Amino acid sequence: MRSLLELEGRPFPAEPPAPPRLTRRARWIIGVAATALFVAALGYLVHDQVQARASYGRAHTSLGVTQRRTRTVSAELKEAARDLRDLKTQVGSDTTALNQDSAQLLGAQTSLSAAQTHVTQQASLIGSLQACLVGVEQALNELAVGNQARAIDALNAVASSCTAAEASSG
Amino acid sequence: MAERRRTGRRNWLAASLVILGIGVLVAATWTDVDARTRSRNEQGALAAADTHLARLRHRVAVTRFAAAVTKATRNALQTSIGTTMSQLAVTNGSLANANVHAYVQGVGIDTLQTCLGGVKGAFGQISAKNTTQAAKDISAVSGACTQLAGGTSTGLVYPFDFPDPSVLLVGQNYYAYATNSVAGNIQIIDSTDLTHWTAVGNALPSLPGWATANYTWAPAVASIGGTFLLYYAVDVAGTGQECISVATANRPQGPFSDKSTAPLECQKSLGGSIDPASFIDTNGTPYLVWKSGGPGSSKIWSQQLAPSGTSFVPGTNPSPLLTPDQPWESGTVEAPDLVSTGGVYSLFFSGNDWNSANYAVGVATCTGPLGPCRDATPSPILSSGDGVAGPGGESVFADTSGNYWIAFHAWVPGAVGFPNSRDLYLRRLTFSGPAPTVAPSGS
Repeated sequence: MRSLLELEGRPFPAEPPAPPRLTRRARWIIGVAATALFVAALGYLVHDQVQARASYGRAHTSLGVTQRRTRTVSAELKEAARDLRDLKTQVGSDTTALNQDSAQLLGAQTSLSAAQTHVTQQASLIGSLQACLVGVEQALNELAVGNQARAIDALNAVASSCTAAEASSG
Repeated sequence: MAERRRTGRRNWLAASLVILGIGVLVAATWTDVDARTRSRNEQGALAAADTHLARLRHRVAVTRFAAAVTKATRNALQTSIGTTMSQLAVTNGSLANANVHAYVQGVGIDTLQTCLGGVKGAFGQISAKNTTQAAKDISAVSGACTQLAGGTSTGLVYPFDFPDPSVLLVGQNYYAYATNSVAGNIQIIDSTDLTHWTAVGNALPSLPGWATANYTWAPAVASIGGTFLLYYAVDVAGTGQECISVATANRPQGPFSDKSTAPLECQKSLGGSIDPASFIDTNGTPYLVWKSGGPGSSKIWSQQLAPSGTSFVPGTNPSPLLTPDQPWESGTVEAPDLVSTGGVYSLFFSGNDWNSANYAVGVATCTGPLGPCRDATPSPILSSGDGVAGPGGESVFADTSGNYWIAFHAWVPGAVGFPNSRDLYLRRLTFSGPAPTVAPSGS
């Protein structure tokens, strides 16, 4: 460019002035500040890392404890589940047994009721037969000694019993 | 130039320091970030683990709760099963009892129907005037009717009206005679074992012309000189007078025939004579004992019979043996039966009202067949209780082994008084001590 200017015969422009240099003091301050900043940053990072590691350590320890507890609780859960399963099995079998027993009881109660009814009917028949027998025997004894009228009275007195006995006897 | 070199070195140093510092910071930052990441991850894992643990705990709690509920359900079920089983056992027990009861009732009904059938049949036969068949009808159901009357433990052997029994042993057969009832004027049944009795029929099919039908009672049969003599009480027609007559037969089951024109004994002035019983003394002399009078005036007599047994020895008179003197007799002694054992004469008799449960049997000791006699004991030797009511009309006999028995009639407790039946009972009799002893029920 200068050659070009020289060729053209024009005067050279003056050179730009050099930027002002930082003073020694300024450079020192900047260096100290940078160093301080660096140390502060590094300290913060180290401190933070220590905290992070401590936190990690606590978390890790807690995690170990939690995992052990988890294993214990898992075992407890398995045991509880097994107990529950066993109990459900027992409930199932007990329910079946109870249903069978209840059915059996119902059948027995039905049979008992029928038997008691039969007993009651037979007791009634026995009462009628006994009354009838007493009357007929009395009539027989009366008739045997010629007391016809009394014999008839004796028969009449038990006629209803004899009729009931015959009806019950089928 | 040197200045520029120094400046360049300083700048390079500064740049190096800056780069180093930056590197340190970057490394520190990276490790910090890593530490934080690891910590965060660990905390995340911890949180997840805690959450998992919490869920597990919840599940454990839920499972345990479910187990507790299920256990309660199981316990309730088992309690219900226990209760049901208990109820089932009780019900089955009741059912078994009911079935046994029903079975016993069924047997009882069969027994009742059998007995009733026989009695009804007898009633029909009597209506048709066939007393022999009537007697056979009832004796055919004797076993069933005996069961209904409580069985044989009380000594019951014939559960029909068979009053004032008298038993005679002929060979290996026993014959029992009784007051008129189903079988006719004088009932007769026989047995070979004293337990099972069969109706023979009417021992006295016809009565003498002076007698009243249906008023014959208290028979006694003796074998004298190869002839069987039936002594019995009978009403005289037209007068109602109670007297004693005698019929004969050539075999114990009859038929006996009474060809008399008048009673053997009457004692009209004393109110009549009834309840005859023969007695053959150890020397073979026959006697007749009987009762005269009614309540308040009754007396027991004895008189020697002629060798034929059909009349008294001429010139003899009745000898009084016994009069009522004990409170339990209530003014009446009757139905005598004289027995001689070991040189001792025992006069058995009945006392009190025959138609009540107060009737009972007493015994007196006599010095001979014609007396005198005195009570062997102030109390009856056989009275109501022990399965019988109003026992009396007794007679004593020895079985084929020489053991003594007392035959008597009694009401079934709860059915006292005519027209109920006075059934036939037999019990062992022991002669020892001041008075004979009647074996208790069940022996």
